[in-house]
Amino acid sequence: MADETRTIDDAFSPPGQSWMRVSPRLARAYRITLGFWALVAVAVAVGLAFVPGLPDAVSAVVLLLALVVIAWIWWLIGRRVRSWGYAERDDDLLVTRGIMFRRLVIVPYGRMQLVDLRAGPIHRWLGIATVQLHTAAATTDASIPGLTPALAADLRDRLARRGEQRSAGL
Amino acid sequence: MSGQEQDPLAFEVVPPGRSGPDEHGRRRVHPWTPFIAGVRWWPGGIIAGVTLAAQLDVQVGQGAILVGLAALVVVTLLGTGFAYLAWTRLTFWFDDDGDLRVDSGVISRNERRLQLSRLQSVDVLQPLVARVAGMAEVRVEVAGAGDSKINLRFLTLREANELRNEIIARSAGVRHDVEEAPENVLVRVPAGDLVVSLLLRAETYALLVLTVVVLAVTIVTEGTAGLVLIVLGGIPVFQVFAQFSRYYDFTVAESPDGLRLRHGLLQRTRQTVPPGRVQAVGFVQPFLWRTRGWVRVRLNVAGVSSRSEGRGDESYSENVLLPVAPWPVALAIVARVLPGVDLGAVPTVPAPERARRRAWIQWRQLAVGWDDEVFITRSGRIVERWDVVPHARTQSVRVTQGPWERALGLASMHVDSTPGVVKVVGLHRDATEARVLAQEQADRAATARAGDRSLRWVAQQHLAGTAPAAPVSAPSGVGDGSPILGSGAAGVADLGAPSSAVDAHPREGPEP
Repeated sequence: MADETRTIDDAFSPPGQSWMRVSPRLARAYRITLGFWALVAVAVAVGLAFVPGLPDAVSAVVLLLALVVIAWIWWLIGRRVRSWGYAERDDDLLVTRGIMFRRLVIVPYGRMQLVDLRAGPIHRWLGIATVQLHTAAATTDASIPGLTPALAADLRDRLARRGEQRSAGL
Repeated sequence: MSGQEQDPLAFEVVPPGRSGPDEHGRRRVHPWTPFIAGVRWWPGGIIAGVTLAAQLDVQVGQGAILVGLAALVVVTLLGTGFAYLAWTRLTFWFDDDGDLRVDSGVISRNERRLQLSRLQSVDVLQPLVARVAGMAEVRVEVAGAGDSKINLRFLTLREANELRNEIIARSAGVRHDVEEAPENVLVRVPAGDLVVSLLLRAETYALLVLTVVVLAVTIVTEGTAGLVLIVLGGIPVFQVFAQFSRYYDFTVAESPDGLRLRHGLLQRTRQTVPPGRVQAVGFVQPFLWRTRGWVRVRLNVAGVSSRSEGRGDESYSENVLLPVAPWPVALAIVARVLPGVDLGAVPTVPAPERARRRAWIQWRQLAVGWDDEVFITRSGRIVERWDVVPHARTQSVRVTQGPWERALGLASMHVDSTPGVVKVVGLHRDATEARVLAQEQADRAATARAGDRSLRWVAQQHLAGTAPAAPVSAPSGVGDGSPILGSGAAGVADLGAPSSAVDAHPREGPEP
């Protein structure tokens, strides 16, 4: 990384130990979803070629733009998935994510209201699941996607147990 | 109830005590409820009727008025009829576990159980129509996601207050036949100050301009577009009157079960905010209030509806602790909500100077501060804000960084509170500092949680052998019973029961 990102690495660096990273299969899940949108975009671009009175160049430009944007997002997904990380500490869980808009959330175990484990059809097919933490604050927004089911279930149980031990009301 | 002030708008027409328990101990709301529910359609019905008449170019005459009245009667009867069906099917009672049960529903039955140990608030509301009839609505809310709220409408005011007291007492796990706790009025906001404060807000002028524009467009185009807008959204500037009406006669009183807030010109609302239930406090100072040193104080209280959840007939779209007050008064009142906190003494650290390239208006105001009890953030140049969250109420801590902030080596640090109007954000700190602050705040929160006693207010009082209803000795500092703000110093009467008690436990919905 270049020098100007030095401070970010400091601000979003792991606490002592290193970040636990999520499965690269998450990128595949996102890219499959992106693929559907790519098909739609290409279909629209090709459809424009058949609109009477519209120069073919329009269709070509739209197609090119769509492909560039899709390629960019494709690349971005890889970085985005690699940016995701979490760390379990004694009293709190840290979750970080994001490239353009980076964020780090610290959730004390005692503040957790419930822990969700969920997986959509694509994620299930790829064998990954998402663990999401909820506190009484709607803004907490701590979810960890791309965990293998066994890891996710373990994490959920561990978090729930710690939450129970340290439960502190509101 | 002692010292019940005569409500000038209420006609004492409703015989009390008609909603006593039946042989199974189940109670009903007052039999007048259906009629009041029917009458509540009048304002909407009249506006719709007049609009329709205007659209159809109906000549104003005896015939038209008769048709209108007939329509009104039909609407009332329909509304009353439906409400009557609902009334016959609605019962409520306290079950063997002391929880509040409500059985309702005409077509689909709905049995709710509110676990009172998780009580968040009880409010006694009096919408205008109900108030004229001397009736009130009791709104009970427990901690929980989604629909954890029950409105019992309507009871006579006396019954509503008694029910409120009973619910608070049961939630506190003490005898439920105790008298209402006595109170000590701290502040009464003078109507004059409220009017001036509303006139000194930019919103007022924006709404005025909007009103003029809408009216002008309507007149110039001779169309009905403006009329439709007005019917749908109301005359914009009327919002200002609505604010005045909502916060009229705003009274803050102190009692053992919390700070009591009473307000309202047409619709009266009585709320109680127990100390320790306040999740966050925000001070807002609009630009034009600065010379007067006025400030508005808002609260986050868990479970009490935030703006997004509020419906049109609800009294608070935001939780206001004081609609307008001089700084010292506001600080003194907040000191009651957050005991042991001296906000003036909290040292603050400004944002780095390079933040001006990210926030070129407010950068000079940006600051964070903390002491052993609270975390404070400051922001806003034109409308200044100070937001406070006690460490013990910190839900989670976040650090965020947008692209522009990253280029400047800045990051923002958020302290998450329960949903509400107060958002505590330390904007545009040095990135490394933000991370350190976040980590330290998480540690401070953990320490504060471990030592937190404020949630066990009832247990404390109980153990001390003091019933929650026992009078509190006049506290030092502000008040001593006399209002700080001008009027109403002498002989401020007890207006009756306020409303909400909040018990904070991990959230869990009411069991079905």
